[in-house]
Amino acid sequence: MKSAFAIMSWMLVALFLVLPQTAAAQRDYYKVGVITSLSGDLATGGNVTKRGYDLWAQTVNAAGGIEIDGRKYKVELVYGDAQSKPDQGASAAERLATQEKVDFVLGPYSSGVTLAAAPVLEKYKIPMITGSAESPMIWLQKFYYTFGTIPPVNYTGASPVETLAALDPPPKSAMILGSNDTFSKATAEAFQEAAKQAGIEIKKFNIVPAGQDLMSFMSVAKALKPDLVAFGGHDEELINLVKALLQINYTPKALLMHYGVTEPAFVEALAKNAEQVYGASVWTETVHAKGDYLWADAAAYAKDAEAAFKVPADYTQAGSTAAGIAFMAALGQIKAAPPLDEAEREALVKALEKLDIQTFYGRLKFAEEGQFYHANIGLSPLTVQIQGGKPVIVGPPSEAQSTPQYPMTPWEKR
Amino acid sequence: MLLLPQALVDGLLIGGIYITIAIGFSLAYGVMHIIDFAVGEWIMLGAFLGLYLSQWTQVEPLLLLPVVFVVFAVLGYLFQPVIHRVLSGKKGNPLLMALVFTFGLAIAFKGLGLTVFGFFSRSIPSAMAADSFTFVRGDFFVTIPVIRLIGLAYAIAVTLALSWILKRTDFGLAVQALAQNKEAAGLMGISAKRTNSWVYGIYVGISAMSGVLIGCMFSISAQMGGKYTVFSFFVVVLAGMGFLAGVPWAAFLLGMVQSFFLIYFDPGYTLLAVFIILYAVLLISPKGLFGKGV
Amino acid sequence: MRRGIFAFWLFIGLMAVVPAFVQNAFVLRIVTELFMWIGLAITWDVMAGYAGYLNFGHGAFFGAGAYTTAILMMRCGWTFAATLPVAGLLAGLAALLAGIPTLRLKGAYFAIATWALALAIQQLALVLDITGGPDGMRLPPFLHPVFFFYVMLAVAAVTFLLLWLLLERASFGLKLKAIREDEAGAMALGLNPARIKIQAFVLSAVPAGVLGGIYAFWITFIDPASVLADIITDQAMVMAVFGGLGTLLGPVIGAIVVFSFKTLFWAYLADYQVLYLIILGVVIALTVVFLPNGIWGTLTGQIQARNALIKGMAIDPAQGRHPEQGADSND
Repeated sequence: MKSAFAIMSWMLVALFLVLPQTAAAQRDYYKVGVITSLSGDLATGGNVTKRGYDLWAQTVNAAGGIEIDGRKYKVELVYGDAQSKPDQGASAAERLATQEKVDFVLGPYSSGVTLAAAPVLEKYKIPMITGSAESPMIWLQKFYYTFGTIPPVNYTGASPVETLAALDPPPKSAMILGSNDTFSKATAEAFQEAAKQAGIEIKKFNIVPAGQDLMSFMSVAKALKPDLVAFGGHDEELINLVKALLQINYTPKALLMHYGVTEPAFVEALAKNAEQVYGASVWTETVHAKGDYLWADAAAYAKDAEAAFKVPADYTQAGSTAAGIAFMAALGQIKAAPPLDEAEREALVKALEKLDIQTFYGRLKFAEEGQFYHANIGLSPLTVQIQGGKPVIVGPPSEAQSTPQYPMTPWEKR
Repeated sequence: MLLLPQALVDGLLIGGIYITIAIGFSLAYGVMHIIDFAVGEWIMLGAFLGLYLSQWTQVEPLLLLPVVFVVFAVLGYLFQPVIHRVLSGKKGNPLLMALVFTFGLAIAFKGLGLTVFGFFSRSIPSAMAADSFTFVRGDFFVTIPVIRLIGLAYAIAVTLALSWILKRTDFGLAVQALAQNKEAAGLMGISAKRTNSWVYGIYVGISAMSGVLIGCMFSISAQMGGKYTVFSFFVVVLAGMGFLAGVPWAAFLLGMVQSFFLIYFDPGYTLLAVFIILYAVLLISPKGLFGKGV
Repeated sequence: MRRGIFAFWLFIGLMAVVPAFVQNAFVLRIVTELFMWIGLAITWDVMAGYAGYLNFGHGAFFGAGAYTTAILMMRCGWTFAATLPVAGLLAGLAALLAGIPTLRLKGAYFAIATWALALAIQQLALVLDITGGPDGMRLPPFLHPVFFFYVMLAVAAVTFLLLWLLLERASFGLKLKAIREDEAGAMALGLNPARIKIQAFVLSAVPAGVLGGIYAFWITFIDPASVLADIITDQAMVMAVFGGLGTLLGPVIGAIVVFSFKTLFWAYLADYQVLYLIILGVVIALTVVFLPNGIWGTLTGQIQARNALIKGMAIDPAQGRHPEQGADSND
């Protein structure tokens, strides 16, 4: 008994000795925390955000760093794996704030992790821009130090439904479903709301358990014969849904999902069966955008991304890179050299709020109030469709680069 | 009502998938009494081997099933002695230590999978994946996807093959003797070590093959293991631990519950229903559906 | 035993002064989390180690406590302190209601039944409105590391003391062990196994519920995927088994070792993607292979062997040093 307590005490002492690692106060580079999920259920999205952040850091450093008063400062990324768990996100935030003493943070992929990490960063007054957290809930909390480059799903979800409703003849009926996680449910609800507005009859609306085998549910679609099947879900669920429709052999006139279709994995996994699926996005590599920072336009960024990771860039990755650019632009405005003290970080937040810049990703402008508080509202939501193995912009008319293909080619004729 | 035939067929087809992930595990439990947390990870590894092999050889993935089986059976055979060592600890609870051992294994495999295969979801392209038979009579219709039918046929074939081996071969008799009485079997000259290695090899091989089939029907990723581990456990327990003949019925029951809930009730409650029914069945029949588990 | 009690208070005293010397919020946070895991591991061991029942649904008590605190604070306007007793009581009540039918099951059937029940509760939290469904619940941030450090320490220490008194000092522990070894025999001795098992089940659930309540307020955000996940039970189980079952100290040591490894790998190998997952998994697996009785079990085994050696009993010195080496001989 006694020896056990002795062992325990020694182990804890050892733990204390190993843990504190105070960073040097003086450094001539920016220390940037990255909190994202490299493992766990959301590892796919998390790793895509990491690629976006990495590409930003590599490009900045290759150019010599961020220029402040004629001197260039490099950036160094320090990672914290949130493991797709909110509490690990909070721990990572606390570690980056106290151990690593980071200047600012590039944020998580999912809303749960963001909601747990944000209060910790508020406490240490460290600004965070999340490259990809699309749940509307985050912005309703009004975190002062948290920003986001990708607009929430209730800002983007309506666009594809509006594009479809403008077709002649438009889809008349819809079956809408969403996975039971916070992002997917919000997506399905956004689709539902937009369909109602557009006068499309909703034959069935359901939230299904995450990861559920959907073949049986798609036999309901086969019986109801809706023109439009719209689904809110994450990457693997989208692939599963297309495969379920294929297996049950029902081709709706339009199949709509959200950002997941722009992920290269979607097209790679499904090949010809990914064709003509609709999605919502704010960025593709062909979008009209003139950048004043690092990349001149979307195509230039896509080329670098392809060279770096051997897969095409999707909008999550682009949004994450844009988060780095936002910090870079704001730092340039306040002319703060590393390391940043509390007053400089405060000024950084103020600069971010006032920021209005053009990038390869499009316009960056964070909302200063309302339900989208601190989310990027500088972009216009796009309707994309997979055409020829690539996401192509088909709406709204002002941005369209191709015409929507409607109705879909039946599976057996592909 | 229109969808009743479809709901029944879907239930059977979903059940087929559950058989494939549970039958090998049930065998391993019956003989070695191991609760293997890594079952889902074996499925994941098998699926990726199938994916890479079919990409490399350009051969229909379903034809590669025997290759995947052999590779993983050998792996399992070679791996078993380590598990055996864990299972034969004298103090504490060896069964639990095996549980924790395989839990560690599952974490390591998952990390390995994420590192080697990457984090994107993939899909194994099978020529059969898009085909289906449709039968229409009046307003009634039934669609049977070919790939799922193959899955069900595979499940039944594996079940029959295993019961044949257990009942009709010397090896099977040795396995049964071991499952019933380890000491007596040892006295009769049966090497527990070697027989267990074969059983574990067969189990790992079957699980890996099932992974390939799953990859043809759904998407696969390095993270997929956990989901299949849960359902593999559930089917095996519902059938009665180690009672092979109960596995198909338990699997069909879970499949039916899912297809009927998705079609006739609120789909959001599907998994809630599955778990509650599983719990209720265990309360009513504490040793599995047929009361024949060990 | 007096020395044991002294050592316990010394340990608690040592921990209690930690915040005076360690101001680093991250260190306090992970030690706070460590206390939580110690609490979960020792309460899981009440059922597994003492009563011989594998509860795969232990995390559900934790989650129920977390949601109780969150709902009472956010929907009913209670203060944090007032919600904790309710969180514990509710978890205890859940254990009572679930335990009566479930504890009739044995072995793996009990394990899977509790797991199914826990997953059902997770699904319920996903579809109900009061829990916020998949969106989860946010609590007002109260970010005082020292406060949570002491609250977690207090609850973990009280739990340890209570379990020590009941399981190691009172006859309750012996009764449980009697049931573990031979339930029918225990009944023949005039014990009421059904009742004793339920008492133990409730005893293991109440602290888990309280810990869950603290967790909710501490992390400030809960959702079904985090507080009702399998991984909570799994982790407590790994810690308890790793340390050594059926002892109170084993799970504590297991929790400290596993958690420290996990946290250190996580914190300092984060730059290398998920390398730490591979290392953690391999470390767990290898430890089990080489210490098949758990750390504490092996340690006490060695002490016993050494004592035996000193007394001049016929034990091979090599075996005395490595008692686990004899394990292969029963083929």
